[in-house]
Amino acid sequence: MFWRKRNAEDFAEEIKAHLELETEDLRNEGLSPEEAQWRAKRAFGNVRAVQEQFYLRGRWQWLDRIARDLRIGFRSLRQSPGFALTAVLTLAFGVGANTAVFSVMNAVLLRSLPVADPSRVVYLRPSNPPRNTGTIASEETISYPVYAELHREVRAMQSVMAYVPLATGKVAVRFGAVPEEAEGEMVSGQFFSGLGVGMAVGHGFSEPDETNHAPLAVLSYKYWTRRFERDPSVAGKTLYVNSVPMTIIGVAAKGFEGVETGQSADFWIPLQNRPELNAYANPPDDGKLYIANPKWWCLRLIGRLAPGVSKEQALAQLQPVFQAAAYTGLGNPQQGEKLPVLRLVDAKSFPGYESSYGTPIRVLMMMVSLVLIIALSNVAMLLLARNAARKREFAVRLALGATRAILLRQLLIESLLLVTGGGALAWVFAVFASRTLGLWARIETSLAPDRTVLLFTLGLLILAVIVFGLAPLRIALAAGVTPAIKTSQATAHADAGQSRTGRIVVVMQMMFCVVLLVGAGLLIRTLRNLEQTPLGMDVNGLVVFGIKPNTQALAETNAFYRELLAKLRVLAGVQDATIMQERLGSGWSANNNMKVDGRLSEVANGESRTVRSNVVGPDFFHTLGVPVLMGRDFTSSDTSNSPHVGIVNETFVKRFLHGQHPLGHRIGPASINWDMEIVGVVKDHKYRSIDEDPIPMAWYMYAQIPVLGEMQVELRVHGNPLEIVPTAAKVVAEMDPNLPLIQPMTQRAQFDTTIAQPMLFARLAGFFGLLAVLLVATGLYGVLSYRVNMRTAEIGVRMAVGARRAQVVWMIVKDSLALTAVGVFTGAPLAMLIGQALKRSLYGVKALDAMSYLIAVLGVGAIALLASAMPAARAASVDPLKALRVE
Amino acid sequence: MTTQRKSDDRIALLQGTLDLLILKTLVFKPCHGQGIARSILRHSEEVLFVDHGSLYVALQRLEDRKWISAKWGISENNRKARFYCLTAKGRAQLVEKSSEWRRLTRAMGLILEAGEGPQGEEA
Repeated sequence: MFWRKRNAEDFAEEIKAHLELETEDLRNEGLSPEEAQWRAKRAFGNVRAVQEQFYLRGRWQWLDRIARDLRIGFRSLRQSPGFALTAVLTLAFGVGANTAVFSVMNAVLLRSLPVADPSRVVYLRPSNPPRNTGTIASEETISYPVYAELHREVRAMQSVMAYVPLATGKVAVRFGAVPEEAEGEMVSGQFFSGLGVGMAVGHGFSEPDETNHAPLAVLSYKYWTRRFERDPSVAGKTLYVNSVPMTIIGVAAKGFEGVETGQSADFWIPLQNRPELNAYANPPDDGKLYIANPKWWCLRLIGRLAPGVSKEQALAQLQPVFQAAAYTGLGNPQQGEKLPVLRLVDAKSFPGYESSYGTPIRVLMMMVSLVLIIALSNVAMLLLARNAARKREFAVRLALGATRAILLRQLLIESLLLVTGGGALAWVFAVFASRTLGLWARIETSLAPDRTVLLFTLGLLILAVIVFGLAPLRIALAAGVTPAIKTSQATAHADAGQSRTGRIVVVMQMMFCVVLLVGAGLLIRTLRNLEQTPLGMDVNGLVVFGIKPNTQALAETNAFYRELLAKLRVLAGVQDATIMQERLGSGWSANNNMKVDGRLSEVANGESRTVRSNVVGPDFFHTLGVPVLMGRDFTSSDTSNSPHVGIVNETFVKRFLHGQHPLGHRIGPASINWDMEIVGVVKDHKYRSIDEDPIPMAWYMYAQIPVLGEMQVELRVHGNPLEIVPTAAKVVAEMDPNLPLIQPMTQRAQFDTTIAQPMLFARLAGFFGLLAVLLVATGLYGVLSYRVNMRTAEIGVRMAVGARRAQVVWMIVKDSLALTAVGVFTGAPLAMLIGQALKRSLYGVKALDAMSYLIAVLGVGAIALLASAMPAARAASVDPLKALRVE
Repeated sequence: MTTQRKSDDRIALLQGTLDLLILKTLVFKPCHGQGIARSILRHSEEVLFVDHGSLYVALQRLEDRKWISAKWGISENNRKARFYCLTAKGRAQLVEKSSEWRRLTRAMGLILEAGEGPQGEEA
């Protein structure tokens, strides 16, 4: 029908017409007018009822009823605002924490690479690279010649792409006049087209751009936004990268910042072949750039499988090509040498995230799910308690004609209101929390909740609705008219089954609380240990920044640094200045085996021969404040013309010199013929990170080694270290206007980055532990005070027959202490499991740390006491007469 | 409150049968509510009495289901009345419902006749 729903007036009109027709017919049958009218009306029945039925017909009835139930639900929640607020907040915290941690997990561990059809994309990873090769990561990087061969020969791959950063950190760029720094990568010509990454502006690279080493650049969307305010006319302009002009030709699609962890590239350029743009900003090795050096395995490879080719088929075709290519320019493999093997690794999510965040995030996820269970059971208990207290209300409503279905529906709607409120709040909380989390953890990928996260949260809320739906269901089914109205308050609530459920829930909460507290305790102790770890130097007052001079010849570079140090030393406020190749606390180090007096020395029971080394400037140890135990520090008089000198640490002496007097021995890298005389021994101190163990170390003097490139400048200053940065930048600019200070920061902050992740992890764990404690405390308080309330009459009776206050208090407290004991004893073994899982994330704490367990147990005990003390005190102050009069 | 006693030979309608009666009545020609009530009474030889109020609720239900349609018109004795007529959907329903009904009555008949024997003794 086309017209709108028939209205009630029309229906009334029809009834009126009917009555008239009927009356007339009856009159025609010979009845009097009055009689006829009366008979017609009687035959019709109740007009009002019929009209009501007309009004209620169809689905309108439903909406109507729901609206009414919602009103009732709101009203009833408003009557107990404390309950409503507790329930909503508990839910918001429980669900919000889960959503936040899940959205981080989703972004970091589950989300695919932002490329087209990621299921067809694989990383090409080697293992067991040939002897005599140097790698960035021995299980990840491959040399350019091998890449070129794979790229050319293999048909099973639609494309094989290589990419390599221009520096371990940022490189010098210039757009306009002022030098800046940015993260850049060199990539294959097919990088964007092969991955299926679209362009927001302009176009990407092409195959010839790679072969011609075209001076072109593509910006990332993030960099374009941050630096260029999304100016579309940026295409065609020039970006100087290490003073080499590159023409900007495009901006990559939003969200694409490379395919590696932690490196969110600001720009990409095609693979280059010039010394200013060597991979990792390394100086040419033996005069060779990365592109001509089969010994330097520095490129990462990613590829797309050809249509219809499986991973296995592709690997079968790749493997022989790879194994043959791996030895080009390296000579034949030695007899018995294990051949390198290529692996194809799914590009399901960001590589490296799994290894660096996998365990912490999973543990956090588990922790928050425990928090969620506690939160849900809390609210369910609150609901149970509240509904039990309303038994008489329900009985009265049933007596007044409400059906059980109506009762159940209204209770469900109350639960639904709570869940909706809690869920909405949780989402707000989660969006905020995950953003903060991402900032703290320095996770550069977007953490904005996506559809997966939304579904996850909705799933949690549905779970909540089901849990909270079961609570009222039981009440509604149990509700009867007579018993609850008839029975007294004292007996109406003595429902044995229900109090058993309550006890089980409380024990379970205690158990989880112990687990969370132990986990949090272990991590917080780890955090304290990390923060208080002695670095072996005085970091206060140290500031560090990188410099990459545009010099070619070694002598020129040497002169540059000599001049720079001389100029920096005389600046007002600067106490000491020195340089180093690897920045302390950056996680990087140069590692190799070392000969002592011409041969590899014996090491006791299979200890490693690896020596971590660094190339440093004069007064290095003096500037850092590292004590020189024997001999001397490097000085300006150690030059390329003077004898080669080196310095080692205590552990080096202990492991390789076996008690001989260290000074005067000659040491040098195992692979090349170059050595130096030990002129000093320094105390062990931290190099790469705060949590590293002591390891043999050796230092070269920068002026004496054959290659030199980017160096890190370390200044010791009076006052706030960062205040020197602008002055230092001016000094550098006077020497070369193209050079920015690369990543200037205090040495303390640099070291702190190495424990940022465990620190964040510990803080979060601590936060969730605290949250759990808070939830358990409120839950326990609610349950206990409810149970005490229920026993008011009983307590009155006991006191009337002579029980003392202390006895009553003990009765209540004893009850909760018993529950606590059970919770603690079941929780401790579970906590041990957590401890095992956390093992790798702990520092200076054993998984079975007695202190953490003690604190957890005491914490839970304290909560139990506190939460039962108040209800107990209330119980003890019950006036026996009043309590009995309640009946 | 005095309750109204129905004539002894009138039978209250079984649930669901009213719809069938309405559809059947409308097969011959469009009719208004009061006419349908009269027609049912007359054709059942005054045995089936339809509560008029229920009849209008049923009419509305059928109209909502689009088994019948309605429009206002003028009755034979020149009064305003709402006339109902059968739709194609209603016609199909009528066929289905009547065959259902026939099967039901046949089955009822079989059982009731078979069960008459043992009870006859007592009467």
